[in-house]
Amino acid sequence: MPSDFAIETRNLTKVYRSLLGRRVVRAVDGVSLSVERGLSFGFLGPNGAGKTTFVKMLLSATHPTAGSALLLNRPAQDPNARRSIGYLPENHHFPTYFTGAGMLDFYASLSGMDARSRKRRIPELLDWVGLTGWENVRLSKYSKGMLQRLGLAQALMHSPALLILDEPSDGVDPMGRIRIREILRSLEEQGTTIFINSHLLAEVESFCREVAILHRGRVVLRGSVQDLTAGRGYRLRATAPPERVLDELRRSASETVIQDGWVTLQFPARDAANRAIDLLRRAGSEIECVTAASSTLEEVFVKTVGALG
Amino acid sequence: MRTIGLLIVDTFHEALARKIFWGLFALSTAMILFFLFLLKIDIVEGAMATISLLGQESPKRWQIDKLVRHVQSGIATFLYTWGMFLAVFASSGLVPDMLEVGRIELLLSKPVRRWQILAGRYVGNTLVVGCNIAYLVLGVWMILGWKTGLWPKAFLLTILFTLFIFSVLLTVVTLVGVIFESPAMATMVTVALMIMSPILAQRSLMERLLNSEWTRRIWRGLYWTLPKVYEVGRMTLDYVFDRTVSDYAPLWSSAAFGIAALAAALAIFMKRDF
Repeated sequence: MPSDFAIETRNLTKVYRSLLGRRVVRAVDGVSLSVERGLSFGFLGPNGAGKTTFVKMLLSATHPTAGSALLLNRPAQDPNARRSIGYLPENHHFPTYFTGAGMLDFYASLSGMDARSRKRRIPELLDWVGLTGWENVRLSKYSKGMLQRLGLAQALMHSPALLILDEPSDGVDPMGRIRIREILRSLEEQGTTIFINSHLLAEVESFCREVAILHRGRVVLRGSVQDLTAGRGYRLRATAPPERVLDELRRSASETVIQDGWVTLQFPARDAANRAIDLLRRAGSEIECVTAASSTLEEVFVKTVGALG
Repeated sequence: MRTIGLLIVDTFHEALARKIFWGLFALSTAMILFFLFLLKIDIVEGAMATISLLGQESPKRWQIDKLVRHVQSGIATFLYTWGMFLAVFASSGLVPDMLEVGRIELLLSKPVRRWQILAGRYVGNTLVVGCNIAYLVLGVWMILGWKTGLWPKAFLLTILFTLFIFSVLLTVVTLVGVIFESPAMATMVTVALMIMSPILAQRSLMERLLNSEWTRRIWRGLYWTLPKVYEVGRMTLDYVFDRTVSDYAPLWSSAAFGIAALAAALAIFMKRDF
């Protein structure tokens, strides 16, 4: 029975050995990961964590030492599994003898697209990524950002069910990034599974619904962006009350900062924040603001990876 | 087949864009134009006149035939030496370029089998060179035929023999390219084999000169293992001159080497991590 997962790995492992076997590197160490269909998923990790090796194993560009991977219910090593996959590699190197349209045509035909569909789709996608008018220009004339957008168009040509993007906005200017995000949003709405491997945490946070953090080849954290970034508590800012009130507030606050006659307090729960408001009001302090404090994905990332050393 | 066809066309496309095809084409055209120039100054008539001066009223047909075959053998020799070297040099980058980071992963992410990628590259490369060999040989054959009225078909076999030995050498280029991803290394190893070929071909002489049995065995082993560029070249000249060819061993042993080298390249390519 087919599962609801676009990507399903079981104990996926890659061990690199030096020629004489003296040096052993476990680039990916027993990763079991399931990514639901239609989900936008961020794959994070510091440099050398094994993210790219993991992606390459999904695409059979690298052979796993152990474990297995299924893509859209087919074994990853089956070429037909890649029929419905769009991929944009990191540090892509598109042959510069192609024109923009020629490149899209070549890779789409390798994906099994017929000539008529390609002809219809090429101007459509060039327009989508903002490269209309560049179709007959050789890639050697394209800027890095333009190549990145063209690479994205290449990955989308055959309307894949699963899109794997390795650093999709690398080298793209802010406007281009916004455009890429818009494109990905509309694909997500259409039900495309999007797997993003990126260092840009703010970008992943703003787009992905779920993330996993890979560290030294292992998944060390996995969850929805909402859950991972929520629940840090409440932040309260008021004019500084007398010292005896402050002492009482310090007992329930997780963090207290006094500066220039103002006090900023952090509370882990809502009831503690409400009690503090009552106390401050009774002491004659003026409340400036109360906000629900959430962590950024970057904070979660730094905390997770930092704790592991 | 469709996938291999696409990859062959892509190899052609790349050869055109990198001026490899045009470089070889320009060289072949220069050769053909040189021939036309020679004919323009009536070198054939000059040669006929020389034969007349040597005591014969009018040159006989077999003498013209001999002249034509000598010219054709010159072309065949050129193809086997400089032509082959240029073709190997021009082809040396096509596999390493394909294996560049960021390019090979994209190819492998498509519903394509690895052997198809390498086969498409190999066949495409052979065809790029084959087109140029055919163009040069047919061009010279037609010019000489038009001028002398003689159309010895044996010369056309040069296309097949040259292409055959190039396709064998291309397996070395492919194998070295897959292992080292270095065009320079691919060229060096292949040219080294080409240089070794006439030396190894002196088998009977070396059997006499070498004083121990094991060195003779090594010599024989190398002789039978490595491609016989020199001997296949000699065989081509035998055909051009209408001489009988009795030993086809250089052909099949070179073919066996090519198959083994290509199989090794495929096996390594299939197992490699990118």
